[in-house]
Amino acid sequence: MAEILRSLRLYFLLQRASARGAMQYRLNTVIGVISGAIWQGTGFAFVWVVMHTFPSLAGWGLAEIAFLYGLRLTAHALAMIPLMSVNDVQWIVRNGEFDRFLLRPLNPLVQLMGNRMGIAQFGDLLAGVALLAVAGRNAQVQWDVWLVAFCAAAIVGGALIEAAFFLALCSLSLRMVDTFALRVFIDDVFSKFGSYPMKIFGGTVEWLLTFVLPVAFVAYVPSSVVLGKLDSPWAPAAPLLGVALISLAYLVWRRQLAHYQSVGH
Amino acid sequence: MTRIGFRLALAYRGDIIMTCVSLVAQVFLLRMIWTSVYGSRPAAAGLTLDALLAYLTLANLQSFATQTLVSRTIHHRIRTGTVFFDLARPVGYLRQMAAFQVGNTLGGLLLLAPVVPVVLLVGSITVPVNGPGYVITLVLGYVIAVQLALLISLIGFWLMETGAIHLLYRLVSQFFAGTMVPLAFFPGFLGALAEILPFQYTGYVPAAVYVGHISDVSGPVTVELAWIAGLWCLLALTWSRACRRVVIQGG
Repeated sequence: MAEILRSLRLYFLLQRASARGAMQYRLNTVIGVISGAIWQGTGFAFVWVVMHTFPSLAGWGLAEIAFLYGLRLTAHALAMIPLMSVNDVQWIVRNGEFDRFLLRPLNPLVQLMGNRMGIAQFGDLLAGVALLAVAGRNAQVQWDVWLVAFCAAAIVGGALIEAAFFLALCSLSLRMVDTFALRVFIDDVFSKFGSYPMKIFGGTVEWLLTFVLPVAFVAYVPSSVVLGKLDSPWAPAAPLLGVALISLAYLVWRRQLAHYQSVGH
Repeated sequence: MTRIGFRLALAYRGDIIMTCVSLVAQVFLLRMIWTSVYGSRPAAAGLTLDALLAYLTLANLQSFATQTLVSRTIHHRIRTGTVFFDLARPVGYLRQMAAFQVGNTLGGLLLLAPVVPVVLLVGSITVPVNGPGYVITLVLGYVIAVQLALLISLIGFWLMETGAIHLLYRLVSQFFAGTMVPLAFFPGFLGALAEILPFQYTGYVPAAVYVGHISDVSGPVTVELAWIAGLWCLLALTWSRACRRVVIQGG
């Protein structure tokens, strides 16, 4: 426990340093955040234009889709803000820089995470929270403490699911397996398909997105619960899947780390 | 220059293959969303579902084929100062860059060719209602896209750092090209804006001609030619100003 707290404290110190680093280029940081938000904004503009003509998408209204969209976006931002710099793992391994991480008395993953900050992801977070707030007020939902708590748990759970796939794929890079393209693809699937009701994909694809790559559990299942569209007794447990998956991903990371061979410098 | 652009496209085929996969996913997603919202409705905004799906498939293929790399290249060469070598060549700078872009597009098309059947299968396609009209409007639209990309790149001679402007330009131009929603669905103000902007000629107009949503080609072609002439003058003017401002970084 003391070990975890120490790692956490060091992680925050590292992140503070990298935040200070990013703020050296203030304008670039601001533009980064804004373009992140605009990027997501145009994505939602599509939904808005379509639903201007057609009031319902598979039984979901505009406010409901917006809620789903916001939930997914917020989860995505929460997953990527701390993990963005893990994306560089293959270059760090290839340059032999990773050896230095192993020598320092701090979990290498924490060091990797503290390397750099996801800047554009703060734009995603901004857009996601804004969407959630507006949609939460406009959708027909009776808010109470439990529902808000469930939402928070769902966002964290969704973030953990995305983070788990990301981390597991990144850890393969420790053994020089290039998974960059695959990561881009998985991220693409999560962001493209995760923001819509799974029902519209029908049959095989819906099944694949639920049980093979659990995109459905990031936002679709939790928002169905919040919006009262799903009454399976198991559905409220969806956030727990994230916990299970991230533990699994961390085990994969540890396993790959045990097999790490330096490029030799 | 054309050959360099062509080779460059082939050299980075990994990138392009990834974009192809993403293109297929995009077309599939659009198909599912639109099929779902149409439900049992036969037609909306004058488009049947079949025509709409064919439109979307085509518009996405087009937007992939007509995307421009030239502004990124120019940006990079201004930042590193290597733009000097381009300027030293005895051929006009804009002409070199346009040739580079054409070559790059051709290379991209070559890599795109095997993916087209997959995209058509995932999406949907109908027999062209107006084939020649489609080709004419698309080629003219491509010229406009390249001109616009060059114009945006020239801003770099003043600002040096234009990464964010390019990103913004790409987002705005793609949205208003109508690759995800035909312009016919844009409500009120947004529709009027899209109608004025030239981005529709790389996406909406050719695809709408193809599916027969636009039946009279002469109108769009005239406007396209006017845009090309106007942008030509604007480019020449901007360039004559820009080359007086050239700063070679690290030179």
